[in-house]
Amino acid sequence: MFILSPLPRRRHLDDDAIAALWSSRVAASEVSSGPASASADEEAHLRSCAECRSRYDAFAGWLDDARAEAIDEADEIFSAERLGAQQTQILRRLETLERPGRVLAFPRFRHSGTSVRRGPQRWIAAAAVAGLIVGVGAGELLDFRRSMSGASAGHLGSQPLPLGQSARGTLQPVAFSSEDLFLYDDSDAASTSPSVEALQALDALTPRVRDLDQVR
Amino acid sequence: MTGAHAVGLPPREADSASASAVKAMQAEGRHSEARERYADLVARHQRRASRIAFHYLRDGAEADEAVQDAFVKAYSHLASFREELPFEVWFTRILINGCLDRIKARTRRERWLVSAPEPSPGQSDFTDRVAGAGPSPEDQVLARERRRKLADALARLPDRQRSVFMLSHYEGCTSREVSALTGLNESTVRVHLFRAIRRLRTLLTDGGQSAASQNSRSAAITGGKRRVHP
Repeated sequence: MFILSPLPRRRHLDDDAIAALWSSRVAASEVSSGPASASADEEAHLRSCAECRSRYDAFAGWLDDARAEAIDEADEIFSAERLGAQQTQILRRLETLERPGRVLAFPRFRHSGTSVRRGPQRWIAAAAVAGLIVGVGAGELLDFRRSMSGASAGHLGSQPLPLGQSARGTLQPVAFSSEDLFLYDDSDAASTSPSVEALQALDALTPRVRDLDQVR
Repeated sequence: MTGAHAVGLPPREADSASASAVKAMQAEGRHSEARERYADLVARHQRRASRIAFHYLRDGAEADEAVQDAFVKAYSHLASFREELPFEVWFTRILINGCLDRIKARTRRERWLVSAPEPSPGQSDFTDRVAGAGPSPEDQVLARERRRKLADALARLPDRQRSVFMLSHYEGCTSREVSALTGLNESTVRVHLFRAIRRLRTLLTDGGQSAASQNSRSAAITGGKRRVHP
């Protein structure tokens, strides 16, 4: 919308000049402010030029509208009730500022009161642990003794032969328990079943229970 | 509202006198009296303070908290208040610093969190929005849109320009007061106000980007001065 004006119209004020005029008039309205910064020529032009005056008025009106909008928006949010609640809250906070703080007992002291009760609890726990250890130990000991007695009974009839005797090539009688014989019977039954050719040689080398019976 | 001894004084002097009286009461240990007296100051300034905080923070709840914090902080630091400075200026400075701290904290938070879309600040309950005696829904929508545009344009201003514009134009502070609030000197305040207005005008009338390109084009032709007349 802004198009450069030809020479005769360049005397009109631009946006910056109008803003500067507005600022300087605001400043001039302040009792304490210094002299206005807009030039006297611009002021004079504004007074004489109706077009610039109307633009200035529109500019000032736009700023006033913006101000009114902003203030209305804030005032809508901060209603009288809300401000009342805010004031109450502020006064409550001020009151708490002056009230001496309540001293709370440090947690350590609370614990010291209950430490008397904790003594028996600790003894109970220690006794339980000790009982468990003793129980496990006794169980292990009993089991060990039982296994020792069982082992000695089992080895009485099956002492291993010295290596020298077996090296002579003669077949020596070996004491078998009834359990061992039962096992060998099973293996004999397996050998009488239809055999595999690859196992024939191994089968020939394996002594039979009946051979052992004959030796006896 | 005002204490008896402050009757007859202009509002600013009356506020400063009240603040000094509260300070004296605090020193003497008369805390409940001090609180009552301070409540008058709160009542006089809380609307303006809420407005300022809201314009900075753009969130009603956060502005509420910022105002509460500022009043509590001012009360607890009243010993450092000097009567030569108006109470309003001293308090507003505390408030603005609090708001700026909150904006910083919010920026840090938002760097890590993706916030859900929030309702616009003026948006009320559904029950308030259904048929009522207020403005029509269309007017409400248009007003909300105008406010949103204005707030967006304000948010795009540099911090100092925004502060100066809000304090001088919205709150009607003089250049000297804005100078006391922001720490800038008076002539700098005026320059910031002028620039803020010019930039706002550009952002709101031309939609920002088109204005910027047009501005640069015009500036190239006219040597920095944008012509406004056809």
